[in-house]
Amino acid sequence: MQHTLLITGSPYQSKACHTALRFVKTALTLQPDSIKGVFFYEDAVLIGNQLNQPPRDEINLTKAWQSVAQEYNIPLYLCIAAAVRRGVVSEDESRRYELTHHSLAEHFQLEGLGTLVDLMNTTNKIIQFR
Amino acid sequence: MKKTLIHLSSSPYSNLSCKEGLDLALVLATFEQEVDIFLSGAALSLLNTAQTPTAEQGKNLHKLLAGLEFYDIENLYVHASNLEAAKQANGDNLWQGTKPLNQTEWHALFSNYQQVFRF
Repeated sequence: MQHTLLITGSPYQSKACHTALRFVKTALTLQPDSIKGVFFYEDAVLIGNQLNQPPRDEINLTKAWQSVAQEYNIPLYLCIAAAVRRGVVSEDESRRYELTHHSLAEHFQLEGLGTLVDLMNTTNKIIQFR
Repeated sequence: MKKTLIHLSSSPYSNLSCKEGLDLALVLATFEQEVDIFLSGAALSLLNTAQTPTAEQGKNLHKLLAGLEFYDIENLYVHASNLEAAKQANGDNLWQGTKPLNQTEWHALFSNYQQVFRF
């Protein structure tokens, strides 16, 4: 059975990104192909900002997600509209908006909500973390 | 086809949740997915027809409601008791396009959805 995760809770105001990370790690350990993709929406897109610098004695949640994505080869999607509004901008979007910087962390990609609809229709279950 | 319910319970003016929930509903409908909306709590203030927010206060999301039918979103549900309270609070300024449900109807309906998202 394949799952999609929809994460909407802010990494700073909620434990949604933390709890989802624990879920993903457990699910992938038990069944390596159990997660088809992870879609971050609302304030959860802040996880994809490469400029995040948490204090050294705290978890670096962005890096933790990156290493899971790399190890298990699962895609991490950020809603493009939600991300750009919050300053999480890829190189392409940076050029489009004529900005001088970009901030999207490696292993995250900007996608429209249509990608979420596609995931909904091609996985058995979608689980929201908010 | 999977049926989706978007449950809005956040105030349209306290954060972006309500807007981003409605955005998801519109995208689902654009992709010809069956989607209904349920309003509760602070999201019921979407139904006030007399709101005129400034740019600092936020977008007037109420205006989106009238356009939902063009996306084939035909069911915007509320609890009957909440609707009564909203009628008292808003008087003549209450939008009339919602469908009230009692507790039993709500429970029966809820189990029809394969996906429920909260905003």
